[in-house]
Amino acid sequence: MSVLAERKLAQQELPVTLSTWQIAVLRFRRNPLSMMGLVIIVGFVLIALLAPVLAPPAPNVRDPFMMPHAGYSPDPQPPRAGHPFGTTEQAFDIYYGFVWGARTAFRVGLIVVVTSVVIGILVGGVAGYYRGRVDEILMRIVDIFLAFPGLILAVVIVAILGPGLDNVMIALALVGWPGYARLLRGEILSVRERDYVEAARAMGASDPKIIIRHVLPNSIYPILVVSSLDMGSIVVAAAALSFLGLGAPVGYADWGQIISLSRNWIIGSGGNAFIFWYTVVFPGIALVLFTLGWNLLGDAFRDILDPRLRGST
Amino acid sequence: MIKTRWFMLPVLVVVLALLAPTGIATGQAVKNPDTYVAVSFGDWDTFDYAWAYDTSSFEVIFNVYEPLIFFDGGRMDRFAPMLATAVPSVQNGLLSPDGKTYTFPIRQGVKFHDGSPLTAEDAAYSLQRFLLTDRDGGPSSLLSEWILGITSTRDDKGNLALKFGDLQRAVQVKGNNVVVTLKEPFGGFLSIMAQWSYVVSKKWAIKNGDWPGTAATMAKYNNPKKESTAFFEKANGTGPFKLETWDRAGRQVILVRNDNYWRAPTRLKRVVIRSVEEVATRILMLKAGDADSIALTRRELPQIEGDPNIKIIDDIPTGTSTNPAWFFTFDIDCRGNPDCGSGRLDGNGIPPNFFSDVNVRRGFAYSFDFNTFLQDGYRGKATLAKGMIPLGMFGYNPKQEYFTFDRARATAAFREAFGGQVWERGFKLTVLYNAGNVVRELGSRILKDTIESLNPKFKVDIRGVTWSTYLAAMDASRLPVFWIGWLADYPDPHNFAFHFFHSDGTFPHSQKFKNAEVDALVSIAAREPDVKKRQQLYFQINQKYFELVPSVATVNAIGFRNQRTWVHGWYYNPIYPGTYWYTVFKG
Amino acid sequence: MTVFIARRLLLLPLVGIGVTILIFGLLQLLSPVQRASLYVTDPRQLLAVDQVIRTHGLDKPLYIQYVQWLWNVVRGDLGWSETAKMTVARAIRTFFPATLELTLYAFLPIVVLGIWLGTISAVHRDRIIDHFSRLFAIGGQSMPTFVWGLLLLMVFYGAWRLFPPGRLSLDASLYVLSPQFRAYTHLLTVDALLNRQFWIFLDALRHLVLPVVTLSLVSAATLVRVTRSSMLETLRQDYVRTARAKGLEEPRVINKHARKNAMIPVVTLSTLLFVGLLNGVLITETIFGYPGIGRWGGNAALQLDAAAVAGFALLNAGLLVIGNLTADVLYAWIDPRIRLG
Repeated sequence: MSVLAERKLAQQELPVTLSTWQIAVLRFRRNPLSMMGLVIIVGFVLIALLAPVLAPPAPNVRDPFMMPHAGYSPDPQPPRAGHPFGTTEQAFDIYYGFVWGARTAFRVGLIVVVTSVVIGILVGGVAGYYRGRVDEILMRIVDIFLAFPGLILAVVIVAILGPGLDNVMIALALVGWPGYARLLRGEILSVRERDYVEAARAMGASDPKIIIRHVLPNSIYPILVVSSLDMGSIVVAAAALSFLGLGAPVGYADWGQIISLSRNWIIGSGGNAFIFWYTVVFPGIALVLFTLGWNLLGDAFRDILDPRLRGST
Repeated sequence: MIKTRWFMLPVLVVVLALLAPTGIATGQAVKNPDTYVAVSFGDWDTFDYAWAYDTSSFEVIFNVYEPLIFFDGGRMDRFAPMLATAVPSVQNGLLSPDGKTYTFPIRQGVKFHDGSPLTAEDAAYSLQRFLLTDRDGGPSSLLSEWILGITSTRDDKGNLALKFGDLQRAVQVKGNNVVVTLKEPFGGFLSIMAQWSYVVSKKWAIKNGDWPGTAATMAKYNNPKKESTAFFEKANGTGPFKLETWDRAGRQVILVRNDNYWRAPTRLKRVVIRSVEEVATRILMLKAGDADSIALTRRELPQIEGDPNIKIIDDIPTGTSTNPAWFFTFDIDCRGNPDCGSGRLDGNGIPPNFFSDVNVRRGFAYSFDFNTFLQDGYRGKATLAKGMIPLGMFGYNPKQEYFTFDRARATAAFREAFGGQVWERGFKLTVLYNAGNVVRELGSRILKDTIESLNPKFKVDIRGVTWSTYLAAMDASRLPVFWIGWLADYPDPHNFAFHFFHSDGTFPHSQKFKNAEVDALVSIAAREPDVKKRQQLYFQINQKYFELVPSVATVNAIGFRNQRTWVHGWYYNPIYPGTYWYTVFKG
Repeated sequence: MTVFIARRLLLLPLVGIGVTILIFGLLQLLSPVQRASLYVTDPRQLLAVDQVIRTHGLDKPLYIQYVQWLWNVVRGDLGWSETAKMTVARAIRTFFPATLELTLYAFLPIVVLGIWLGTISAVHRDRIIDHFSRLFAIGGQSMPTFVWGLLLLMVFYGAWRLFPPGRLSLDASLYVLSPQFRAYTHLLTVDALLNRQFWIFLDALRHLVLPVVTLSLVSAATLVRVTRSSMLETLRQDYVRTARAKGLEEPRVINKHARKNAMIPVVTLSTLLFVGLLNGVLITETIFGYPGIGRWGGNAALQLDAAAVAGFALLNAGLLVIGNLTADVLYAWIDPRIRLG
């Protein structure tokens, strides 16, 4: 056999090394809860994408996010033909709200998370990398935002700007970015001391290049974990704002808004305490599952991607 | 083991909590038999009769203080003597023939809560102080308009323009009488007095740092800060109840029986008014007997129906408010205003003068499904409005023609509007309401649905905004169509006619509505001394209101009362700001 | 140590000014008429808007209003809260103890439950008990607070009449307001004991149960997660492996070695949680008619009561600084390797 052929044979018999990606997928598949999280989120994505099919809006409707109402009945009505999940007060169809609410949830969650993360990365990144004066000033600003209680600050912002989902998103993004800034700064502080960064600097790479190519990719994991957890909590926070009258308008397909319509009906009526169960249960299931899915996904990300856990399958 | 030890603590707390005396009524035993617990929401502003303008504060004020004359039983149009011994009229000579001078003989033998006797001096002081206080957005102008002929005691720069001499001449003490002289006669003057002429003790006021009653100190006590008046959180009145505490930490007000009341003392020893924001919690408190009556709207009424311990008294006439009505703005400020859309009559917006065409207004008015609004907003318990004067008030005309839901007429009106351009091009606008107000939101939705169904080019959006935005937009005439209501200051039609129709009134001011003929009519009607003629004038005003349609009144709600079955003695007058506990008892 | 503490406390005015500038900056977006809406609450007062603006100086440029406010604060005057109908300082004194009491009573079960469940989860990772506790935690957090609150109220008060809303029953309330009762701490349970009125102590406790349970349901979740992940990390550490290899029994490994070190992030979170609870009570207090600072702050924000919101911001900034300080001091106590400063 030629030397080349021998070497090739030897190579083929070496133990298989898996790439990081393949390790991640393997770990993911082993954990049933992670799979469950993925399935739930994929399920919601499908519901959101297929909303016009699953719950077709009436023709000529200007805004498909406004739930259809057959009449204006002041009392919720239980599930029946044509309204599988029942109707809320003012006869809004809960099933329609459940389906289109998935779109709203993703929209609100993604916009808020992406905005918070981007601002957080900018601020935290600059602070962590440049340190010194810049760091001090930026972190004081972060402290100031964090010093204000989240919900109350959101209430102040929305009370000033006016109720509506757009302003809710602005408020939640303004409340959320400091957390990410701090997180990223901490990560960067620890990463910047590592050898490969020193090496890159020694080789003359420019600062932005170092940040983007070396520092960021290695500090990004905690942000991924936290932001997936945030997806759920943002939707719940929007629900709290709806409860206070600052969220989406009444009749909008938003789980938080629908469940806040249930507030007068939770205690039931007359002798039957649970007579209006459907006003709480269906939007509640949506909220719980959505949060659950993102939580499990976030935990899975952490379990898989945490570099400190690598090497100990 | 750490975990078991720590776990014990919360368990212990719960067990301890369960041991507490529960005070659960076994069977039908009356809870707190000599204390009435009313649970409402919101806060009290102040207990100063000259400062307060909200019903929560007045519910307390009118149980603790008393006016010179009061309403006779359940009637809004008949009066009974209270701290005065007779109701002035031309027949008994206490009202001068020219209708300007009222003499109130003051009752003897009445004592304030601190034991001091009531004198005519106190009554005169109370009235003068009411006129002097004149705080921003306060009630003083209600009386000063007729007694002094002014609507504000301050000039343009904010300095006091009222002279002590004017006050002295207008409200005088003559022996045991208080003589009030008006600048012009007003048919509804007694109704204002019955509601606003509370009497306080002059000596007590001075002792507690309030106005000494002299000329030199007038400026200091004009437009005072709410918290700096003597009557803010303390009270000394002649009423059947004394103000024991305003417990702001616990959000409750406690009234206690006045044993030296000039009439028979009440049977209740105490009244506790608590404030709980969440309606579901209030309902549970009523069912548990921890509340004897609660603040509740008709939408929540089914949740307490059928409960054997709760009595619901329905079909109570309200008669003091026109609420809600929706208003058009005749000259909308469309600059940077998304609610106007494009700002032009091009199908994507409305021009600022959109509602200046009466056909547009009529089109909207006939498009409103009044009956559905009544059924679904009030569970059928309301009557259709006939105009701005509510059912039950003098000047209401049951035969007045008014708008009904009529698609044919609506379409016809729209087709006429702007020479047919509205129908051809269509329009887009926003109807606004105060966020959180379910009924107004429902009304907006009903209006939207119908109008949009008349013509696909008609686009109506509805939007709820916070009160601050709403107020600012109303003030700046930026709302194309807005919903609001009016609660009577006193039970006289002038209060409604003026504020709905006169160009100086509250709503026309914001709507930029002005009609000289209407202004003249409203002024004359107020001053007409003959009751029959006056009624005819208000009938004319109703007709004009229907023809000109500056705003559209919707329904007159029918009220109801909820209370535990062990509550007795409650009676009703629509003008009361709350419960009058004098006759109430539990048993 | 003292230097460290002093330097941290110096942060307080800085953060305070920063927070209040943020608030006033946001208020800048309001027009004077919008700000007047705090005083003009009834349509019958519409015509008085201009006068109100003039009286309260609402049309002065905001930075002037801020400087005026700051100058007053320095002299000890936090201003008047229109929503509370008393001075801001008095409102804080009045409402803060109620929320503090609620938070103190909620804190214990939250921490205990959180740490306990989190530890169990970590130790029995991926088994049934782990799944259950994680699901419980997530479930608690994903439903809006008012749903839990109203459900609990309906069952335990509406149906079984066990735990009522509010802070005190009528009789206890009347006694507390009477001159016989002396308020030392304004924490009702403590004051009741100090006044030797055991029945009031029990009464107050009864009223605390439902709000506490509601808060716990919602907040325990976060603590469970952090404890779990922190314990997971710690349990993988070399020294734990060593302890196990040495043959130490598992419970001892957990309690003696792992837990203490895992507590560091838990301590941070707990202190932040405490401060966070003080703010998160807004909805709980509204549902249960519990007159605390969350309800006042939330109402003030909704009605744009500028002085109240600014005062509330200051209070919060103060609590946070003290909270962070406590956390850092606790760190040093837990881990002697950490040097302060």
